[in-house]
Amino acid sequence: MDRRDIKKWFKEPAKMGHKYSLWVIYFCTGCGIIEIPPVITSRWDAERFGVIPVATPRQANLFLITGYVSVKTLKAIIRTYEQMPEPKYTVGFGSCPINGGMYWDSYNTIKHLDKYIPVDGWIAGCMPRPEAIFIAVTHLWTMIDKGMADGYLKYREKYKYYRKNQEMALGKLEWSPLYPRENQK
Amino acid sequence: MTEGGYVGVTASSMIMTNKKLKEELESTFKDIQVIVPEDTRLNITAREEDALTILKFLKDRGFNFLTLISCVDWIKENEFELVYIITSYLQKNDEYTQREKLQIILKTRISRTIPESKTVTPIFSNAEVYERELHELFGIKFEGNQRLIPLFLEREYKIPPFRKDFDTREYVKEVFDKIPFV
Repeated sequence: MDRRDIKKWFKEPAKMGHKYSLWVIYFCTGCGIIEIPPVITSRWDAERFGVIPVATPRQANLFLITGYVSVKTLKAIIRTYEQMPEPKYTVGFGSCPINGGMYWDSYNTIKHLDKYIPVDGWIAGCMPRPEAIFIAVTHLWTMIDKGMADGYLKYREKYKYYRKNQEMALGKLEWSPLYPRENQK
Repeated sequence: MTEGGYVGVTASSMIMTNKKLKEELESTFKDIQVIVPEDTRLNITAREEDALTILKFLKDRGFNFLTLISCVDWIKENEFELVYIITSYLQKNDEYTQREKLQIILKTRISRTIPESKTVTPIFSNAEVYERELHELFGIKFEGNQRLIPLFLEREYKIPPFRKDFDTREYVKEVFDKIPFV
């Protein structure tokens, strides 16, 4: 811990806690998951940054989407995202969630993930190196410090539009709205 | 030379089994083409009506495992080509017999305008899933398969998406590109 951070710790302890313990739910959609085992094990050791993998979305506050998103996985991604407690941050890993990547004209792969759930940051590349995850994590720290990682607030605010987009892609959704009051406006 | 052992199988003896099977197939079935491209391969091209009996014939010879059913869309010839790949499970753990090294590829062609074929589930019950897949992605109907329900796809498509005349770019423009950014 940096000594200069002590002021921040006294001022906003909860925020600093969230920031330095990013517990990750890895969503193993595509080929990107191949980069995750070296990241969490001793070679690159993600725990140096407070990043550890967790079993369920209820324990996580960072959502890492590794690889292309097909229509069927999008459904699971939305459900996972909605189960995570706030504050929650999303990072898209690899070029496929950004704009489809090599699946840009696929019949079954959605192209822009941020049309369906808010995404705080992207790691570009096909595949990105494990170091890129740490760059993203440190970048996310500064974003949390400055209050810029506000994807979950945006989701709450514009849930109506997100839900509409989700229904356009998936048809009728099986689950009830996460924010029913906001949706009525 | 041990009988049936891995060490004992020489290239020449493999060719002998292939040739023997080839002769047997050619003598029992009409309108059949059998090619031996490699020592461990056997390519059969046959009519669609004969496919079921050939598969039964091969299963009786000990080729008891259907590896997969695949499909090729020959759009210019207006035909689908069904490809059945058949092998045999190992009888003993670390010894191959000559039969178990052989992979058999059976190709039949069906019409593209009326894409229908008979199911092979009575012979190989694991064909059910492959037939479901082909039904979904190519729109081929398999008569007799009771379970041709959707397998992978969530959305509905006018043309089955693996056919050559399905324009993916057009589809993406129509569906995914029209969804606005938030």
